[in-house]
Amino acid sequence: MAYQQKGSSVSRWFFNLRSYKPHAGEWAWLLHRITGIGLTVYLFLHISTLRTLTQGEAAYNATAATFLSPIFKFFEWALFSLVVFHSFNGLRIVLVDFAGASRYHKIMLRAIYAISLLLMIFMAYLIFGNPFEVSELDSLTLWQWVQQLVG
Amino acid sequence: MAQRSTQRALSWYLQRITGVFLLVFALGHYLMVHWTESSGHTFDATVARLQNPIYVFLYLGFVLLGFYHGLQGIWNIIRDFKLPKAVYTLSAIVLFLLGAYFVYLGFDTVLSVESWMNKP
Repeated sequence: MAYQQKGSSVSRWFFNLRSYKPHAGEWAWLLHRITGIGLTVYLFLHISTLRTLTQGEAAYNATAATFLSPIFKFFEWALFSLVVFHSFNGLRIVLVDFAGASRYHKIMLRAIYAISLLLMIFMAYLIFGNPFEVSELDSLTLWQWVQQLVG
Repeated sequence: MAQRSTQRALSWYLQRITGVFLLVFALGHYLMVHWTESSGHTFDATVARLQNPIYVFLYLGFVLLGFYHGLQGIWNIIRDFKLPKAVYTLSAIVLFLLGAYFVYLGFDTVLSVESWMNKP
C-alpha cells in the first residue's frame, strides 16, 4: 500500500517542497515556475496599459508618465531579471529534452545562474546608476547606452 | 485515457515550441523596440511602429504565443495539485476566457491603429 500524506493538497505540496533534498534541478524547476507566474501576470498588466492607446494620446501619455517613477524602475529591473532567468532556463529545458543535453544540465544551470546574475547587475547599473544622466529611461535607447558605455 | 495522454503530450511539445518562438520574439522585441534609434514609448513612436508590418507581426505573435505559453504554464502548475474536479474545470474555463479576452484586446489595439491614431 502506497504511503499517503495527510492534510490538504497545498500543505502536502509545501511538505514535499521542504522535505526534498535540495538539488540543482529542483531549484531551477521552482524558479522557472515562479518567474513564469510573474511574467504571465506582467503580460496581463502590459496589455491593460497598452489598451489606453485606443483612448488617444493624452490618456496614453498620462498612463506612461506613471512608469517613470522610481518604483517602476525597480519593476523594470525585476521584469528584466524574470525574463533573463526564465529564457535561459527554458532554453536549457529544451536542450535537455530535445538535444540530449541531460548530461550537461548541471553545468548549464551554473552557467545560467552566473550569466543571469551578471546581466541583472549590469541592468541594475544602467537603470539605477543612470551612468549617462538621462532624465528618463526612454530618452536614450539601450543600444545608445551600450554605444556610450563601449565608447 | 489514451486521448488525454495524446493531448497532454501535444501541450508538452507546444509549451517547448512556443517557448523557443517566444525567445525569438523576445529577442526581436528587445532589438527593435528597445535597442534601435526608432524606439521609444511615446504615443507618436508607437503609432509610427504600428505602420510597419514587421512590428505588427512581432506584436501579434508576441501576444498570441505569450498568452498561450503563460496560461498553459499556469495550467500545468494547477494540475500539480490534487484538487477537486470542479476546481480544475473552473480554472480551465477562467484561464481560457481570460486568455481569449486579453488576446482580443491585444489584437484589437494593434489592428485598429487607424481608428485611434489621430485621437488627441
